[in-house]
Amino acid sequence: MDFELSSEHLSLKESVASFVKKDHSFDRLRTLRNDPLGYSKEVWKKMAELGWMGLIYPEEYGGLELDFAFVMVLLEEFGRGLLPEPWISNVLLGGNLVLMGGSESQKHEVLPGVVSGDLMITAAYLEDDGRYDINFCATSAEQRGDAYFISGKKIFVLDGLSADRFVVSTRTSGSVADKDGITLFMVSSHDAGVKITPLKTMDGRNACIMELRDVSVSGSNVIGEVGRGYPLLSEAIDQATAGICAEMVGGMKSSLDLTVAYLSERTQFGKPIGTFQTPQHKTADMFIQKELAVSSVYYAIASIDEKTDERALAVSIAKAKCSSAYIEITKAAVQLFGAIGFTNEGDIGFFLRRAKVSEILFGDTDYHLDRYTRLSGY
Amino acid sequence: MKVSYSSDEERFREEVRKWFEENTPPDVKDQTLGGSTLEHDLMFKWHKTLYEKGWISPEFPKEMGGAGFSETEQFIFNYEYSHCGAPRLKTKLVSLGMLAPLLLQHGTKEQQDRFIPDMLSGKTIWCQGFSEPNAGSDLASLNLKAVPEGNYFVLNGQKTWTSMADHADWIFLLVRTDSSGKKQEGISFLLADLKTPGITIRPIEALTDHAPFCEVFFDDVRVPRENLVGKMGEGWKLAGALLQHERLNAFPVGELIYAIETVRKNSEKTIYRGKPLMQDPVFRRKLAALEVDCNSLLYTFFRILSQLKVGSAPGPEASFLKVYGSELYRRVMDLNIEAVGPYGQSWYNLEEFDNSIHQATMGWINSASLTIWGGSSEIQRTVIATQVLKLPRK
Repeated sequence: MDFELSSEHLSLKESVASFVKKDHSFDRLRTLRNDPLGYSKEVWKKMAELGWMGLIYPEEYGGLELDFAFVMVLLEEFGRGLLPEPWISNVLLGGNLVLMGGSESQKHEVLPGVVSGDLMITAAYLEDDGRYDINFCATSAEQRGDAYFISGKKIFVLDGLSADRFVVSTRTSGSVADKDGITLFMVSSHDAGVKITPLKTMDGRNACIMELRDVSVSGSNVIGEVGRGYPLLSEAIDQATAGICAEMVGGMKSSLDLTVAYLSERTQFGKPIGTFQTPQHKTADMFIQKELAVSSVYYAIASIDEKTDERALAVSIAKAKCSSAYIEITKAAVQLFGAIGFTNEGDIGFFLRRAKVSEILFGDTDYHLDRYTRLSGY
Repeated sequence: MKVSYSSDEERFREEVRKWFEENTPPDVKDQTLGGSTLEHDLMFKWHKTLYEKGWISPEFPKEMGGAGFSETEQFIFNYEYSHCGAPRLKTKLVSLGMLAPLLLQHGTKEQQDRFIPDMLSGKTIWCQGFSEPNAGSDLASLNLKAVPEGNYFVLNGQKTWTSMADHADWIFLLVRTDSSGKKQEGISFLLADLKTPGITIRPIEALTDHAPFCEVFFDDVRVPRENLVGKMGEGWKLAGALLQHERLNAFPVGELIYAIETVRKNSEKTIYRGKPLMQDPVFRRKLAALEVDCNSLLYTFFRILSQLKVGSAPGPEASFLKVYGSELYRRVMDLNIEAVGPYGQSWYNLEEFDNSIHQATMGWINSASLTIWGGSSEIQRTVIATQVLKLPRK
């Protein structure tokens, strides 16, 4: 058993931390909130130049082929500063699905662009009436001749407004909630019959609703095998979920640091409020929740790295733990800041917004608790 | 990063688990949760069994009569021990867990030779005399006076919450030898034979209806000077060193995992509306939430263990293990009562009912003490806030 980061991990941590300090600020978030994309293409390009899009991709596509713990380190630092750039959707969802299931030609077509930051790709897999179930798929793909015709509606497509390509889950056989019979297709935003309706998230990022009406795609756009899309989707989403958990841990750490600093400076009744027992005990609870969340993420990340059978279980534990911890921590933080915590002038409130979005993203607490009960056999 | 034990560690775990499975007597196993209320005769018998196996003190070097386990092996051992339903051994907790390591560091050779072998064999049972009436968690405000007189100290005053004093042979004490300076100064560390004239012991009945602790009164009790550990006035420092030995063993995470597995078993046995309670969606979700927390805590132990392996010992930042673990344990015990249903109200129904009812009710009451002893949750949170997070003190 080994839960220690190597010196290579730590050196990435350091360079990401200094990037976040130099190229990012909470004022940038204040501006980007009113921007339809919600992130900066310039910052995205800089991140790509540093090689961060290619962390887990093989060298032949321009990547660095590092282990998953590097993802944890990177995202934790992103989470510390609440970087809004769409790393998770591009690298861990869209690009990752191509990496895991794509043909050689699909990989060569897509992955170098993801690594260089020039091609934006996400996944469209959620539907109305399915809540967070990724097997729930009413969107159909009907084969006529060499082509498939896709019709249906995908909801809450993460970073969908800025995406050039989408990996879309469709049903080619079986009934609406079956795990078999799901086929993944690569669809372009310009394809005829694709309608994108923008959504803005509570924390200022972009998403979209994607409607497909008889969208024609060739058979060469199938990712993986026909009818066998579910295992791919499930693995990519587990990795993305572990990723968001690492980001959440970064947010928890910042929330705690900001709160401790504020409690040490701000005086009331002639003393720093940090000397009072109630704020002290609330802060101690924030610390405890943060520590437990960190451990749960380490376990999930290591399970992904080692490709153990426990991957899905470990991811659900981490997501359930991080969701409840992040929400608890940020609620307490805003409370301890008092009125300033409830303003957009203060920084701490951004973490509360981000915590709520992260809690829901890739399945809320109850969804993961329920998945946990099934995976652990009761 | 790696989540599993190495093959050597795994082999060790198998060996320990197998031995406990085969050798834990049914009458000491599975008795109660939340700290044991096992009968003393059974406890002594079990102590002897472990001693003969050479496993009474996992952390001690072999030449001292311990098992000489590495830090990881100790964790595995302690985990497997409680995970098989074996009870906490009060006969070793304070003697081998606290006093013996302290004597090895600060005691004289004569004190070591005289006391440690009998602690190991269980021939001498020790209790700990730190707490005093009205002191609560403010350990330094103690008043038991020890006045030097020739080759003796003469003791007058009182200790309380002394676990197992009525079954112990000896007591180690924090006493006041000087009250002129700061309250942490002028405290000394003494060892006293409980048969010394002038000592009176009165058991205190707890909510469990057992008497796990006592009041101990000292009335002109003469303790030989050679029973002083360290120097006069060094007691506070020694007590601090002694409490540091707790580290990873401050909270027995194996007991917690055993407890949650017990809840699982009970909810499979209980039938509600024709189905096991386990299949009730609300109950499942509650159980899952607790298991997620239990697992996160267990992984935290693993994380700290791997820090220890590379030599970065956790300091006060590990103090949350006890506060969170004990509070989580109480939540697990709440759900266990829920799992057994209406019988969760019963008391002392050992004959009529399955032992799981007694386990549940006694465990629930027992767990209420976990957030009090060993530094209350409130004290621990203040420690985290001021020593770990560095919030300003008053």
